Amino acid sequence: MSNKFIGQSIKRREDKRFITGKGRYTDDIVLPGMLHAHFVRSPYAHARVSSIDLDEAKAMPGVIAIYTGDDLADVNGVPCGWQVNFRDGEAMREPKHPMLIPTGSTAKHVGDAVAVVIAETKDIAIDAAELVMVEWEELPAVAAPADALLPDAPKVHEQFPDNKAFDWTFGNPIEEVDAAMEKAAHITELEFVNQRVVPNAMEPRAYIGSYDETFDKYTLYTSTQNPHLIRLLMCAFVLGIPEHKVRVVGPDVGGGFGSKIYHYTEEALVTWSSKQLGQPVKWTSDRSEAFLTDAHGRDHATKAEMGFDADGNILGLRIKTVANMGAYLSTFAPAVPTYLHGTLLQGLYTTPKINIDMTCVFTHTVAVDAYRGAGRPEATYLLERLMDLAALEMGRDPAELRFQNFIPPFDGVEQPGYQTQVALQYDSGNYEAVLKRGLEMLAYDDFRKEQAEAAKTNKILGVGFSTYVEACGIAPSAVVGSLGARAGLFESAQVRVQPTGKVSVFTGSHSHGQGHETTFVQVVADKLGIPMDDVDLVHGDSDTIAFGMGTYGSRSLAVGGSAIVKSIDKILEKGGKIAAHKLECAEGDLEYAEGKWTVKGTDKSISFGDVALTAYVPHIYPAGLEPGLDFSSFYDPANFTYPFGCHIAVVEVDKETGKVTLKRMIAVDDVGNVINPMIVDGQIHGGLAQGIGQALFEGTIYDENGQLTNGSYMDYCMPRADDLPMFETDRQVTPCPHNPLGVKGAGEAGAIGSTPAVVNAVIDALWSAGHKPKDILMPLTSERVWQAMN
Amino acid sequence: MQLSGTHVLNAPVGRVWTMLMDPVTLARIVPAVSSLEQIDDNQYKALAEIKMGPVSGSFSGNLSLLNIRENEGYSLHVKQTSKIGNADALINIALKSLDNDQTELTFDGDARLSGLLARTGQRVISGVANTLTKQFFANFDEALIHE
Repeated sequence: MSNKFIGQSIKRREDKRFITGKGRYTDDIVLPGMLHAHFVRSPYAHARVSSIDLDEAKAMPGVIAIYTGDDLADVNGVPCGWQVNFRDGEAMREPKHPMLIPTGSTAKHVGDAVAVVIAETKDIAIDAAELVMVEWEELPAVAAPADALLPDAPKVHEQFPDNKAFDWTFGNPIEEVDAAMEKAAHITELEFVNQRVVPNAMEPRAYIGSYDETFDKYTLYTSTQNPHLIRLLMCAFVLGIPEHKVRVVGPDVGGGFGSKIYHYTEEALVTWSSKQLGQPVKWTSDRSEAFLTDAHGRDHATKAEMGFDADGNILGLRIKTVANMGAYLSTFAPAVPTYLHGTLLQGLYTTPKINIDMTCVFTHTVAVDAYRGAGRPEATYLLERLMDLAALEMGRDPAELRFQNFIPPFDGVEQPGYQTQVALQYDSGNYEAVLKRGLEMLAYDDFRKEQAEAAKTNKILGVGFSTYVEACGIAPSAVVGSLGARAGLFESAQVRVQPTGKVSVFTGSHSHGQGHETTFVQVVADKLGIPMDDVDLVHGDSDTIAFGMGTYGSRSLAVGGSAIVKSIDKILEKGGKIAAHKLECAEGDLEYAEGKWTVKGTDKSISFGDVALTAYVPHIYPAGLEPGLDFSSFYDPANFTYPFGCHIAVVEVDKETGKVTLKRMIAVDDVGNVINPMIVDGQIHGGLAQGIGQALFEGTIYDENGQLTNGSYMDYCMPRADDLPMFETDRQVTPCPHNPLGVKGAGEAGAIGSTPAVVNAVIDALWSAGHKPKDILMPLTSERVWQAMN
Repeated sequence: MQLSGTHVLNAPVGRVWTMLMDPVTLARIVPAVSSLEQIDDNQYKALAEIKMGPVSGSFSGNLSLLNIRENEGYSLHVKQTSKIGNADALINIALKSLDNDQTELTFDGDARLSGLLARTGQRVISGVANTLTKQFFANFDEALIHE
C-alpha cells in the first residue's frame, strides 16, 4: 500500500456528511431551555432614537426579555484589530461600535440594532420585535465613499466632521513618482470604482450563547472562521470575562469568504444575555439581515496613472483612492485598503516608482472588511486594467507589454527574493511562464484572427488579460505588528499519537469549506507513512485546541500546515529515540520510511505503532526520556507567500443589446506545491465564479438616503452556473522557499485574478469595433455596455 | 419614488374641492385605503392594504393636509410605518378650473421608502406608482358619476 498522499486528488472526507445533510451547523444545535433572539434594527441609514416603547412587546406571551442600548451602556463596543494612523501621526479614529444604539444616539446604517427581543421561540421574538415602538428622527445620510468627503456631507460621527477614519501614503515619496511621470512618453489614466459587493456565505451567521452557572463557564457556538480570535476579542475587549471561563466552538460552517472573520455585536450579545437569563440564547440571521449586517467587501473609488517611456517600459505608478470603511471600523478593516492593498501595487512588474495616496472614510453603510482576496483584488484590478488599457492606447499587444515589464524569474533559493518598492519581498516567482502557458491554451494568434472577423458582425469578441501576484500565508507576526496589527498571525498545531498508533491532529486553522479534514490528514498520513484512516483532524473548539489565529488570507496550509509539520518532526525525533533504544542501535543508524524505523542497510525495523505503544507503556525505554508521544508547535512564518498566475477571459458582446457572454475563462495559477489538486481546482473554480460575479453581476445599490435597494436574492444578482463557461485551468509549481511544505495558498487566487480579465475583455471587444471606452462601471450590465457603444 | 400625474375631471372646481376635503370620499378614491379616520383638524389616521411585487402588507399611517388653499389645492403629507418598512410622502395637489364643467387635477411629490419596502420593493415601485395613479383618477371619475 502506498502512503504517498501528498499530491493526490483524494475525495473530501468531510463531504459525506455535507452531501447527506448530516453537517452540524450552529443553527442545527438545540440546547435544553434554549431561547431565541431577534433584533429590532434601524430602517434608516442615519436616524436618532428619540424613544423606545417596549410595553406592548413585553406584554406578549412568550417574551422573556427585551434589552436596549440603555441596558448595555456599560458594555464596550466591538473592537478593531488593526491600527493605521493618519500620515501626519494623528491616531486612527475609532468610534465606539455599540452593542445596541441607546436612546438619544443615532443609528448609523440601515440594520444597526437598537433592541434585542428574547423569547421562547423565534416566531414570538419576531412578532414581538414588530411591537417594539421606536420613535426615529430621520437624518441625512451618505453612502458613497467620494461623497463622504464633500464639504456639506452628512457627518457619520459628530466628533469627526470630515468623515475621515485615517489617511495613508505608501511607496516611494510622491516627489520621486511625480519626477518619474514627468519623463513619461505616455501616461495611461483611469478613473474607476471597485464596487461594493456582499460576501453571501451560504450559511448565514448564527450564534448560541450558553452560560453554565455550576461551572461559571460560558460556551459560544458561532459560525466563524476563527473561534480563538472571537474568544480573545469578546473576552478581553467587550465583555471582560476571563478567557479560561469561555469556550468558543465553531462547528461546521457553511462558507465565510472573510465575512465570518470578524467579531460581531450579536456574538457578544447572545453570550451576555445567556448569563442575564440563565438560559441559552440563539440568534440566526435571516438572508435580509445578512445583506444589511455582514461586513461587505471592496468599495474603492480610484484615480490611477501609469507612465511609460517611448519603448513601453513602465516608469511610474501614481494612485489616489478613497476607500469606504462603512459606519464603524470592523475587525481587520483598516488593513484591507492599506497593507493588503498598497503593498501589492508592484504587481508582476519592475515599476521603479510607486506611490499610493489613500483616504479611508466613514459612511452611513455597514462596515467594509476583508472579502475573498481583501485588498489584493483591488490592487490587481487597478494594475491589470491599466496594463490592458495602456496597451490599447499605445497600440501595443497586451501580452507583449507584460512580457517586457515582468520581473525576471527568481526561485528564492539560488536567486534572492524580489524586493518591491512597496515594502514586501516576493519569495519566488516565474511570471513569464504562466502567461506563456495561458497564451498557448488560448491559441492567441488564432483568437486575434477570429476577433478581426467578428468585428465585422454584431457579435464582437474581446480578450482580457490579468497577471496577478498576491500575498498569502499571512503573516509574519513581527512584520504585521510593525504595520499596526494588534495580534500575531502565527498558527498552532498539536499532533497526538494515541497508544495504538492512531493520530489526532488539533489545528487552529478552522475549516469552513476548504477541505482541511482531507488535505491536513493527507499531509500527516504522508509524513508518518500511515493510512489516512488512522488520522483524524480536530478543529474549531477552543477547549480542545491550544490556540488558533483562524482561516483567512489563504493561510491555512502555509501557516497551519507548517505548524503541523513542526509537530510531526518532533514526533519523529522522539520516536527515533524510542526506536533506537528498542532496536539497540544509534539514532543516526535509523531511517524512517513507510511507517517504520529501519536500521540502515538491514531488515531490522520497528513500526510506528509499536513505537507509539512503547511511548505509552514505557517498560523498555530510554533513560531520562518522558513517556508519551504528543507534541504541540507554534509556527510563525518568515515571510508572506506569493502565489501568482495568469487569468484570461474571452467574451462575446452583442452590439445591438450590449449583452456580454463569457465564452472562455482560462486560469493558470502557481500556488506553490499542491497537496490535493482536486481541492485546489475547487478553490480556483469558486474564486473565479466570485471574481466573474463582481465583473458582470454583483454590486450593492444604495439610494440617496442610504437605503440598500437590492438587499435580497431577487434584487442582488449572483453568478449562476449557466452564466459561466467550463473553466480551463492549469497549474505551474514554483515552491515557496520558506515553509516546510513549499505551499503558497490557493483560496483567493480565483477571485483576485479574474475580475480585471473579464472587464478588460469587454473593453477589448468594444475597441475592436471602433468604440474606445476607457472604463465601464462594474457590474457590466447590458445597459452599461450598450451605453458605452451608443 | 417620484409620484406625478395630471387628469381632467368632469366637474366644476368647487365640487372637486369639496370631495377632496371629505374624508369619506377620499377613503373611497385613494387606492388601497380602506378607512380614513379624522383625529384632528386636517389630520387623519389611514389604514391601507398594499401589494408591491414581492412585498405586501397592511399599513397604518398618519395623513395630514397642509398649505390648504380653497379651490386651488393642498399638500398631502403621508407618514406610515409597518413591519415591512416605512414610507414618508409629501404630495402637492393643484386644481385648475378649465371651464364650468371641467377641472384639471395635477399632483406631484416624492415618497421616501425605508426598510424591507426599500430593499425588495424598489424594482417594481415605479410600476406600482403608475398603477396607483391610474386607479386614483379612475376612482375619482367614478365617484363623480355616482354622487
